[in-house]
Amino acid sequence: MAINVTKLEMTLQQFVANASNVQGAALVSPDGLTLASSLPGGMDEERVAAMSAAMLSLGERIGRELNRGDIARILVEGEQGYGILTSCTEEAVFLILADHNAKLGVINLEIKNVIGELRKQLLGLAQPVGL
Amino acid sequence: MNVEPLSFMEAIVRRVQLNEQDKELLKQEADWGKTIAPQMADIFYDYLGRDEEMNAILNAKEGRIHRLRETFIQWFYEMFTGIDGWGKAYADCRWKIGLVHVRTGIGPQHVVPAMAVVVTAVGQQLRRDHKPEVLSDALSKICMIDLAFIEQAYSEALLQETGWTQALFQRLIAKGAAQV
Ligand code: HEM
Repeated sequence: MAINVTKLEMTLQQFVANASNVQGAALVSPDGLTLASSLPGGMDEERVAAMSAAMLSLGERIGRELNRGDIARILVEGEQGYGILTSCTEEAVFLILADHNAKLGVINLEIKNVIGELRKQLLGLAQPVGL
Repeated sequence: MNVEPLSFMEAIVRRVQLNEQDKELLKQEADWGKTIAPQMADIFYDYLGRDEEMNAILNAKEGRIHRLRETFIQWFYEMFTGIDGWGKAYADCRWKIGLVHVRTGIGPQHVVPAMAVVVTAVGQQLRRDHKPEVLSDALSKICMIDLAFIEQAYSEALLQETGWTQALFQRLIAKGAAQV
């Protein structure tokens, strides 16, 4: 099934616009290429994509090494807020940026919902989201 | 493993333009190669021994130099025979040599100049023994193939440890280089 990039972009834009405290989101390939994104202006999209893929992959390695089982998400917490990486499909990593007022429980739920939708668009079918 | 040694070697063989005439010539001169291998080993280890860092690596384990001298002589001879005519056995052997160096912490900054020493020493010996210039070219190509294996083992080790794809690795490097 062909992937509708415009639809993916729209889903990300709506997510960023509607989810509480979310500032940006991107979907990237394991090779570090951007599939779709809605990031704050001034961010180097290519670099963000490469680093996100690198981090998720490394995180999965660390998780395995530390016997943490399958990795649900990788969270970067800074003074200005959060960066959260979640594996979306085998071929896509989902990144969101949220400000420091974000409530993690709420954000995780929002991610879970939008990932269900993104998976549907990427794979052409609905898949259970086990986050 | 991202790299399949034989297909990697085939790509490098194409790039250095090693052809059938080169291979034939090398095989014909294999006996000569065997005769000069011990001298080449002497020059090689004398060179490594004069570098503080490499000397420390060489002497880090008891009996290492002695063992290495033997493996170098074998390696040198195999450049002429191609083991199985530069097939799978050759590629697997060179891949293994690459990994041994990476595991020992020997990097491109060590092996590149060391290989240059081999190329120069062989060139000088060739002229002394009145061997044709084409043999020198053929040997240089083989040296570059073997060097490429050692270099490739580096990125392979990193990809193995991080789980990164080759494309991602290249992208990160390109992005990093743009910042330097
Ligand atoms: C021209 C490049 C070089 C060639 C052709 C070469 C050749 C070889 C070969 C054939 C082996 C044996 C691999 C095996 O066990 O299967 C080896 C191992 C080794 N080489 Fe090199 N080498 C090169 C550069 C260097 C350099 C620059 C150093 C720096 C000190 C070095 C130090 C070693 C060490 C420490 C080992 C492992 C010894 C062990 O098993 O304990 N080599 N090399």
